[in-house]
This record gives sequence, C-alpha cells and structure tokens, in this order.
Amino acid sequence: MNSPTDAIRITKLVKQYGNVTAVDNLSLRVPAGIMYGFLGPNGSGKSTTIGCLTGLLDPTAGEIEILGERFGSEASALKRRMGVMPETLGLFEPLYAHEFLAFVARMYGLDEATTQSRVSELLAALELTDTSKPLSAYSTGMRKRVAFAAAVIHSPEVLFLDEPFESIDPGGVALMKQWLRRFTEHGRTVFITSHVLDTVERLCQQVAVITKPGKLVWEGDITALAGDGVIEYAGQKFDALEPLFLQLTGEKSADLKWL
Amino acid sequence: MNTTLIGHLIGLRYKLMWAKTRSRNGKIALFFTGYILLILVGALLGAGGIGAGMAAVKMGKQGMVAKAVLTSIYGGAVMWTLLLGFGMNAVFSETELRRYPLVARERRLVRFFIGIVDPFWLLILLVDLGLVVGLYLMSDTSVGLGLIAVLLLLASNYAVARAVGMYIDRLAETKAGPSILLLLVMAIALLPQLAMPALKRNPEALAPILAGLRYTPPFAAADAITSSGAAAWQGILVIACWLVVFLAAAAWLEKHPYQQRVAQSKAIGWNSPYERAGALFGPAYGVLVGNWLRYYTRNQRFRAMYFLSLPLAAFLAYRIGSMRGQNEWFLGALGAMPVLAYMGTSRFTVNQFGYVGGGFRRFFLLPTDPGACLRAASYASLLLGAGMLPLGLIVFIAVAPDGADPRKIVMLAGSAVTGLFLFNGLGIWSTLFGARKGNYVSALGNDLSLAGNVILIGCMLGGLFLPMVLKKLAPALISPENWWAVLPPLAAAMTFYFVSLNLGAPMVHRRREPLMALLEGKS
Repeated sequence: MNSPTDAIRITKLVKQYGNVTAVDNLSLRVPAGIMYGFLGPNGSGKSTTIGCLTGLLDPTAGEIEILGERFGSEASALKRRMGVMPETLGLFEPLYAHEFLAFVARMYGLDEATTQSRVSELLAALELTDTSKPLSAYSTGMRKRVAFAAAVIHSPEVLFLDEPFESIDPGGVALMKQWLRRFTEHGRTVFITSHVLDTVERLCQQVAVITKPGKLVWEGDITALAGDGVIEYAGQKFDALEPLFLQLTGEKSADLKWL
Repeated sequence: MNTTLIGHLIGLRYKLMWAKTRSRNGKIALFFTGYILLILVGALLGAGGIGAGMAAVKMGKQGMVAKAVLTSIYGGAVMWTLLLGFGMNAVFSETELRRYPLVARERRLVRFFIGIVDPFWLLILLVDLGLVVGLYLMSDTSVGLGLIAVLLLLASNYAVARAVGMYIDRLAETKAGPSILLLLVMAIALLPQLAMPALKRNPEALAPILAGLRYTPPFAAADAITSSGAAAWQGILVIACWLVVFLAAAAWLEKHPYQQRVAQSKAIGWNSPYERAGALFGPAYGVLVGNWLRYYTRNQRFRAMYFLSLPLAAFLAYRIGSMRGQNEWFLGALGAMPVLAYMGTSRFTVNQFGYVGGGFRRFFLLPTDPGACLRAASYASLLLGAGMLPLGLIVFIAVAPDGADPRKIVMLAGSAVTGLFLFNGLGIWSTLFGARKGNYVSALGNDLSLAGNVILIGCMLGGLFLPMVLKKLAPALISPENWWAVLPPLAAAMTFYFVSLNLGAPMVHRRREPLMALLEGKS
C-alpha cells in the first residue's frame, strides 16, 4: 500500500531504447512537501527518468505513482496537478512570452481573468516585460525563465524541474529558489535535477544519486549538510555534497601533460 | 590560406551526410540507391547535353542551340535552388564556421565550395559538359575553352543563386517583403506569356534583345564554346565579370544583414482574433486551434504563399482553360480551386509538427490528449484553406463568362472542398510518418520529406489536371448539367479525412518518441 505522504513513487522503473538500457530497475520514494534532488553524471538517465515521470516517454517496465495515483503518459487529470520544466524547455519560439504563458495557462484550465493576472504577475516578477521580442529572440536565460513560469503558472502540486538554474543569472536563481522554498512550505513537492551541487545542497532535503545506466547508487537525507552536519557513507564522513557525489559516481582523473 | 582545414570542412559536409544515413536502419541502402540514381540521371543528362550539341551542329545552329540550352539550364538551376533548396541546405552558417581558425575570406570560400560540390550542381555541370563534348565531337570547337567557360558558368550560376537566395531571405524579413516577392513571382511567371505574343507582333525587336543578351553568362558561355579566338575569350571574360559581380553581391549581402528596427514594447493584448476563431471549435480544441492559427499566420512564408495563392490560382485557371486554343475558364477553375484551397497551408499541412521544434515536447506535458494537438492543427489548416474559397468563387463569378451559373459555383465549391479534405487527410499521414525537422523562418527552399513532397506535388498536379483528364474520358462528369457528380467525391474525401483523423490522432501518442527524436534533431 502506498504511503499517503509519498508525492512520487517509482517502482522498478526500466527504460530501454532498443538494446540500450537508459534506466535500470530504479525505485524511489519522494515524500510530499520536500525538495528532492535527483543527481547523476551526464548520460546517467536523469532526463529519461523525468521523461517517464512526466509523460514524455513510456517506461519499458515498472510503475510510477504520482500523488497516490498510478501515472501513465495519457493521465490528463493527473497532469493538471503537475508542472514540468523540461530540459529542452518546450517553447513555441515564434510566440511572445505572454502569448505562450497564456496558452499554457488556458490548457491547464485557468479562466481568462486568472490567466491574465498570473501571466502579468509572472512576467513582471521574472523581468520578462519586453513585449517586443518573440521567444526565439530571447537569450537562453530568459527562455529558461519563461519555461519556469510555464511550469508554475497553474500552481501545481508536484513540480519537475530539469536543470532549472543553469544559464540563469544570480538574481533570477535567487528568486526561483525563494519561490520553490515557499512552494514546499505549502506542502507541495519539487523534483529537481541539477549539476549545481551547492544549490542542491542548500535547497533540497533529500537526494538520490544515479549512475549510468540509470542505476540508483545512493538515496538519503541531506538536511544535515545545510548546517554544520556531515553525512556518513561507506565509513567516510562528508561535509558537502560534491565529495559525496564524486565518491558515488567515481572521481575521474586524467593527467593531460599538454594541457 | 589554410587549405588543409578548408579541405577538412568540405569533407565534413559529406561525413555529416553519411552520418545521417547511419542513424536509421535502411537509410544506408537508400543512400546508395540515391547515389546510383544520381549517377544514372547524371549519365542521362550528360548524354542529353552531348545529344543536343551534336544535333545543333547537324542543324548548323550550334550557337542558337547552345544559347537556348545553357540559358534554360542556368535559369532552371536558379529556380530549383530557390524554390526547392537544392544545393543550399548543406552550407554551414557563418556562425558555425567562426569557431574554426579561418579568416573571413576563407570562411566564405569554404561555404562556396561546400555549396557547389552538392550533387545537384554536379548534375548541372554534367549537362553543360555534355553540350561541350557534343559540339567538340561534331565540329572544331575548342574543348579547353569550352571547359573553362562551363566551369566559370557553373560558378556564376551558383553565385547568382546564392546571392538571389540571400536577397530573398532579406526581403522576407521586411514587412512588405512577402508582397514584393509575390509580385516578383507573378511577374516572372507572366513574363513569357506576355513577351511571346509581343515579339511575334514585333519581330524586329528580337535583334536588339539578342544583342543585349550576349552579355549574360549563358549567352557568353555559348559564345565561348561555339566560337574561337577573340570571340571565345570575350565570352569567358564576360562570364568572369559576372562571377565577380555575383560573388561581390553575395559577400555584400552577407556583410550587411538586414537590421530589423527595434520594435517598441507594446501593451499586451489578450483578446486576439486567433482565440476568437479557435473558440469556434469548442472548449476541447479552442485554445489549441487558436495557438495553431497564431503559429501559421505569424509565418512569413505562409503569408506570402497564402496571398499568392489567389492570383496564382486565377492564372492557372486561365492558362489551363486556354490550353490548345480552348476558352474554358470553368475547366481551368475546376482544377485551380483545390490548389487555392490548400496552397497557402500546404507546407504545414503535410508536416504539422515539423516547424514547432522543441515545442513538440510541450504537447505531451499538457493535460490533454496529444491527438487533440494533431486534430487542432488540422482544423486550423482546414479553416485557413477554406477562408480562400469564397474569394476564389467571387473572382470566378466576376471574371469568367457564365460565372454566375449556380451549377458551376456548386461544382467549383465542391471541387475545392474535395481537394481541401483529401489533401488534409493525406497531410495527417505524412505528418505522422513523413515528418521532417523544418526551418520555420526560411523564406524559400524545400524542407519537406519525400512523403510530404509526393503528397504536395501529387495533389497540386492531380488537382490541376484531373478535370482535363475527365474531359477526355468522361466529359459528362464535368458538365454543369451533371453538377451533382461533384458530391460523391466530396463525400468520399470528407470520409477519408475524418477516418484519417480518427485513426491518426491516437498515433501521435504512440509515435511520440521517434517523432520527438526526429524533430529535435536527435535521429
């Protein structure tokens, strides 16, 4: 029986592309109301896992439950309760930011008045007030802000963010962090992938680390790291996430004499 | 000059082509087949050129034949390059090349050579060379001078195609660009129709025109191939001058890209006509249809094609109707009306997801059936296509003799709607199984898949010429007395469309992974 406090529950998830396994027997439980960091090296299967969790991809095997309900890629009702910022952002480039956000808001069922007020507020807060440019003319950081706004505009209960902070300026990141903290304070859940381990360390309460091909190597509470605490793993003590991550994923060293 | 790196980059263009064929099963075989076919076509064209050259000598009109052949090849190459993008798609952009240690002149050279070694230009070269060989075999022309002339002609042909292509891209960026392009296309299409009767009436005007044409690249090349001594060298000099002019024009256009005026930020408008039009399709599709309508109508190429479709359809109706001395506007209009119905949206209709790029992913994150996205796209295409029909009918009523005959109006409307539903039904299948990552902002060029092209060109030609075929085989079917004969095909086309939509919509979900990989450039 699923615990009612689990926002996301993944059981023996497998995703294969032909003979290539991208996610291998992954099982996770993400309690509701926390920020959960999902970490791994490049190509380890993070985006594939998020793809399966958000309906972009069909798992080869395994089960996914979100907010206590079984999730399939066609679960429209459940998708209304989820917000997603995909790795490739999923923007319609020729549209203006307000048009894109209004489209997304209306698709999530927001009425006209709510759509207008939320779009205006988000554009102002994220400093996306230049209405003369379509999204194709925006910088990478601005485009990320738009994708983030699209993920939160309908106040979802679970938020999936695939590398949300990369390319965004410090002011924007600070604002997003502030919103995410408030988001979880209201009992909502954030599932986040990022390579910026310092940020993950300060934001997330729990972390899972996977390695290629989508294999879970560690999962645990990291709240201790936000203070002066340490995490013990394999008889070693770690006072930061980065050394732990390198230990788990295998620290690489290559001495290039010419460099 | 870094010739080694330039060579590597030119080689890279073929490596990339090869890499594309490796990424999919069966593509390698297709690649080989394509190139074998290319060699065969090349041999055929080369032989054609030789044949033309030999025939010209036999007729004693080598000069005239060479001029006619070279001019048609020259003009055709520019046209096909601009309309279908042959020979231009593989050129690296300036930005891509800037990462390599090359100076501006070298980068320009790389792009020039990468473009000109495209198989398309090889075919052009083969025909030109064939002509030189044919003339050489049958007369005492110099093969050396002919070869120089042909190579210069090819280079100038490529350079002019590139310069004109860049100018058109630049023009398309401007507000009035699509309208100017429309006028240019119309003028080029109508020019031969207007010029020929005028020349027949005033044959004395031909001589000064031909004298002027001597200074064009194909005429100059013909002089160089068929003459000797100073006349031949003069021809080569003329082509070389044009080559320099075209290269300079292309370089200038590259250096001076169109600077869009900085638009003023404006107040956000919420109640747009797109949403209002989309709302006609109900709450399930309204927002999506509105989004697709905005997507279509914001595209410069769509706008140009959409507004071009009416005068072009009228022109086609007139031309087909007056073929072989007939005066049958109605017959021409029967064929042109379906073309009018789908010409504007055609590029999107057969490749609905091809121009949304990463946005395709969004459809699967939204709380809706992904099939609804395809339905909405198709409805938007139908709506825009149908929007042209009243205009087409009004033009017919106003211009054609007996245009107000209600039976003819019903038949024309029926023909247009039949074409519209048939084309959109086929478009659903090519969207699902013949999708291709396209360039939303390109003003010219062909970025459709083979399936998309077959449907588009097949429907255009089928639509235009079916009434003529019917007139021969079953004239009663296109007679206004039997106006009701248009209804069964209309019903069949509508049935085909809705069956396609109902079968195709669920497939969007099933095919999303390969489509996503394809549209995001990962396969």
